[in-house]
Amino acid sequence: MNPAASPILATYLDSLAPVLVLTLDQDVRVTECNAYAQQILPMEQLGRPFTDWLVELTARKLTGAELLAGTETPARLSLNTASRVPETFLFHFFPVPDGHIALGSPDIAQQRRLGETVLGLNRELSNLTRQLHQANAELKELNQLKNTFLGMAAHDLRKPIGAILAYVQFVLDEAELGAEHREFLAISHAAAADMKRLVDNFLDLAVIEANQLRLDLANVRAADILDAAMVLLRPLAQRKAVTLVADASQAGGDMRLDAAKLQQVLLNLAGNAVEHSQGGQQVTICLRRAPKAQGEELRCEVHDEGAGIDAAAKAHLFEAFAQAGSRKTGGERATGLGLSIARRIVEAHGGRIGVDSVPGQGACFWFTVPVTQDPSQKETP
Amino acid sequence: MNPDRTDDYSRYLAGLLAGDAATCRAVAQAWLDAAVPLPRLYEDLIQRSLYDVGLLWERGRISVADEHLASAISEGVMALAYPRLFALPRVNHSALITCAANEQHQIGAKMVADLFEMRGWRGFFLGANAPYRDVLDLIAARRPEVACLSLTVFFNLDKFIELAETIRAAYPELPILVGGQALRVGGRERAERIADTRYLGSLAELDAWIAGYEATAVAP
Repeated sequence: MNPAASPILATYLDSLAPVLVLTLDQDVRVTECNAYAQQILPMEQLGRPFTDWLVELTARKLTGAELLAGTETPARLSLNTASRVPETFLFHFFPVPDGHIALGSPDIAQQRRLGETVLGLNRELSNLTRQLHQANAELKELNQLKNTFLGMAAHDLRKPIGAILAYVQFVLDEAELGAEHREFLAISHAAAADMKRLVDNFLDLAVIEANQLRLDLANVRAADILDAAMVLLRPLAQRKAVTLVADASQAGGDMRLDAAKLQQVLLNLAGNAVEHSQGGQQVTICLRRAPKAQGEELRCEVHDEGAGIDAAAKAHLFEAFAQAGSRKTGGERATGLGLSIARRIVEAHGGRIGVDSVPGQGACFWFTVPVTQDPSQKETP
Repeated sequence: MNPDRTDDYSRYLAGLLAGDAATCRAVAQAWLDAAVPLPRLYEDLIQRSLYDVGLLWERGRISVADEHLASAISEGVMALAYPRLFALPRVNHSALITCAANEQHQIGAKMVADLFEMRGWRGFFLGANAPYRDVLDLIAARRPEVACLSLTVFFNLDKFIELAETIRAAYPELPILVGGQALRVGGRERAERIADTRYLGSLAELDAWIAGYEATAVAP
């Protein structure tokens, strides 16, 4: 090397180079540092043993002698920096009169590896994010397609089912038939009625799934909704010899509700209760106002004395098709959609729906709806 | 670009160069919230800033690390647009987009994939270093109508040609489009020697290719 290079290198290492240059005395204490070391190491430690500058990763500290006698060259050592973030350097120790000179350079290869790995992982993550968004969009499209299909299929089935119901009823009413033929037609009529209920539920669900459930809110008395529902429920209860008890004495005055949809919920819960009851049992429907954290809510409870519901079934009861295929006490087939529709209607009102049941001790289906009023409308007299 | 957007651009570029991802995301999100069309976001913000970063790098004003960081931030910004990008109306076409093995730069290819999405296509993007098997599996499963291959580092040309030849051998009828920074330097002729393989030099040329394809092709 050109002899003139030595003083240049000395100056470079002392004041410019990104390399640690530490002067160690005979007791391996750090007595002097170059500019780079002063910039990044905790200088208040100057004068203390070099081993004190190291990150303590093991319970036993290395002694200075052990360090200098180290067989590993360069020695990979991690130092605490002034910012308290440890950094790893590759150290060479050179003996000089009265001590050692320690030269530490950053572990560039490792830093590069880290950088490349982090960038690679970031690229992978961003690609996965893209795939996730793309898959999500595809699922939304498929769901939309399913809803459209559901709605169309149900809509197109409704008319022929209506015709079957009407004409079978007409023949039953007008024709002179033997008992056997009358029974066949009655079974046909019941089957078509089941099918109509299913199709109606499909249509409701299609509307709900397409986020097109609109509430037609008006100031109404909850007790009136129950009265109207009772008119439809009584014949069903009478056929099964189930006692129906309704109590809306504590239901309060007007509140904002979609009367038709809430009646649908009531009919579903109470209808289910009757259908799952045996003759001689009782179904009780109770509507009352109850205080809540802020304001009041309307609470409806439908109690029955049927077989009750086990915990596993309870967990999925309000999901679409959860009850599909289950048989009621009169052999009626559940569509598995009624409770799911009821849940969506109650939730659209800002309320909650649920069931309490112990198997063998009947069930209590309940829902709540917060009481709100439109001040622009007067109470019904 | 209106004056506000010019200010936004300066802020965005400064953020990109400072490694300040939050500022970059904030600017992009503000554009998205203001319903700025996606091609404007991609071209006037993301692409333009990456070109500027490239220039600064070429002039020695910033380091390779700065440039890598800018790419990483840009990919994060692109992800902000995805809820809107993937919800755009669809046409019944799809494309596969991937890079050569060992490519560290995938952002150009990803922009190509997103451009397909903006045109209503499904742009299936397999990032850099996707194994050939994955590429072939995706073609088998999704039946894209075109495969787009990107090369940004000339050093990877052999791998790139190998990938194109693998696709050509497995799917003789599938058109292949090639592009990327490296092919401007060379290798274009080698790539175009593969049957039904065409070089496109810019996003504008790709746009024109898509329009031409749509005009003549019958959707599968």
